[in-house]
Amino acid sequence: MDTIKIDLNDPYYYQQWQKLIENEGLYIENLDDITETIGIYDEDKLIATGSYFNNVLKYLAIDPEYQGGNVFNKLVSYLISDLASQNIFHVFVFTKTQYQSSFEYLGFKLVAKSSFSTLLETGDYSITQYISELPKVSGNNISAIVMNANPFTLGHRYLIEEASKKSDVVYVFVVSQNASLFKTSERIELVKAGTKDLNNVVVVAGGDYMVSFVTFPSYFIKSRSDVVTYQTELDAQVFKRIAEALNITKRFVGEEPYSPTTEIYNQSLKKILIPEVVLEVLKRKEIGGDIISATKVRQAISKENLEAIRKYVPETTFDFIKTNLKDLLRRINNGN
Amino acid sequence: MEIKHTALAGTLESSDVQITLSEGKGISIDLDSQVEKQFGKQIKKVVTDLLAKYEINNVKVHVVDKGALDCTIKARLIAAIQRATDTQNEQNWGVLE
Repeated sequence: MDTIKIDLNDPYYYQQWQKLIENEGLYIENLDDITETIGIYDEDKLIATGSYFNNVLKYLAIDPEYQGGNVFNKLVSYLISDLASQNIFHVFVFTKTQYQSSFEYLGFKLVAKSSFSTLLETGDYSITQYISELPKVSGNNISAIVMNANPFTLGHRYLIEEASKKSDVVYVFVVSQNASLFKTSERIELVKAGTKDLNNVVVVAGGDYMVSFVTFPSYFIKSRSDVVTYQTELDAQVFKRIAEALNITKRFVGEEPYSPTTEIYNQSLKKILIPEVVLEVLKRKEIGGDIISATKVRQAISKENLEAIRKYVPETTFDFIKTNLKDLLRRINNGN
Repeated sequence: MEIKHTALAGTLESSDVQITLSEGKGISIDLDSQVEKQFGKQIKKVVTDLLAKYEINNVKVHVVDKGALDCTIKARLIAAIQRATDTQNEQNWGVLE
């Protein structure tokens, strides 16, 4: 048996791969979400395949005749070693619930599970370690807000301020996502700078665990209409695990009048978080009938319209944008 | 010796072992093995003895055992140590018996 890297842009390999993937009941979503694909061959027959995107294993499939043996171990082992050679040691896999134990045999640990799927991880970092490194606070009424803050606006400021009034302590989790115009470290610093005066607000990095629900792969979900529910449920389960460790009993979200997807997400989140965590929806801040949004700020940046930006963001964010305007424009032009 | 960065050695195939070393405080060993009840103590002893020979006192060890013999565990651990300490080209013959 040979294990090789396969090029999915080559129709010869793609056809073999597609056949194996679809026979195993997986759904091909988007080839852009694959960094590398490997195949295990018995003579000239593709009998197993697996891929990864960043540090997430994906599209694992084994021909039924070869299942239950060493092929699965070989496949996962090869993928982990390949990632290790690129200095990636913390690896995730999203899989059907029935495969949880197969991955646990290979040293993976459960992060969270929902009725549709399971999220596991292995390597040199874990959710347990993430939780142990978060600052701990005391209070009866601890709440949380999860935000991308790309960048931090007066709208975000308003949400945090409202939450701060209604809680003993508020954790603000800033989502790690380097695809954003503002880098993760910049977004965190701007949230910190813009909330400095609120002494019951703790700003922390969301790390690998407060990810945006849309990034969850869903190629193994048969019913496409279940995808949003699946993604929300898993997202909520991960959040619950962190909330439990930090005694968080409430999560605030902003109302989403313009984004139906986010509105659906908020609705399902509410159902899943209860009873451990209560979801409270806060109204968005408006300025003269104009709702503040980070999207509008990014649009104004691309037009170099500093006056428009000033309306939407606090002084701290404005100064950062003004100082780094050239660099931000370069990032926009480079496709961020 | 100090662990400079995470390193991995070995595979998850039958009769092998996959060892990941990363920075830590003190020595902590996380062992996954189907034969943990029978051989867990022995596997941990092989690991701690070898770490002591290299004078590594701060490390997080993740061992995923697939039924490896002691000699295999030693070989994989030495490879992982050399990678984690950037000493691949400096053989430490003294640690081998």
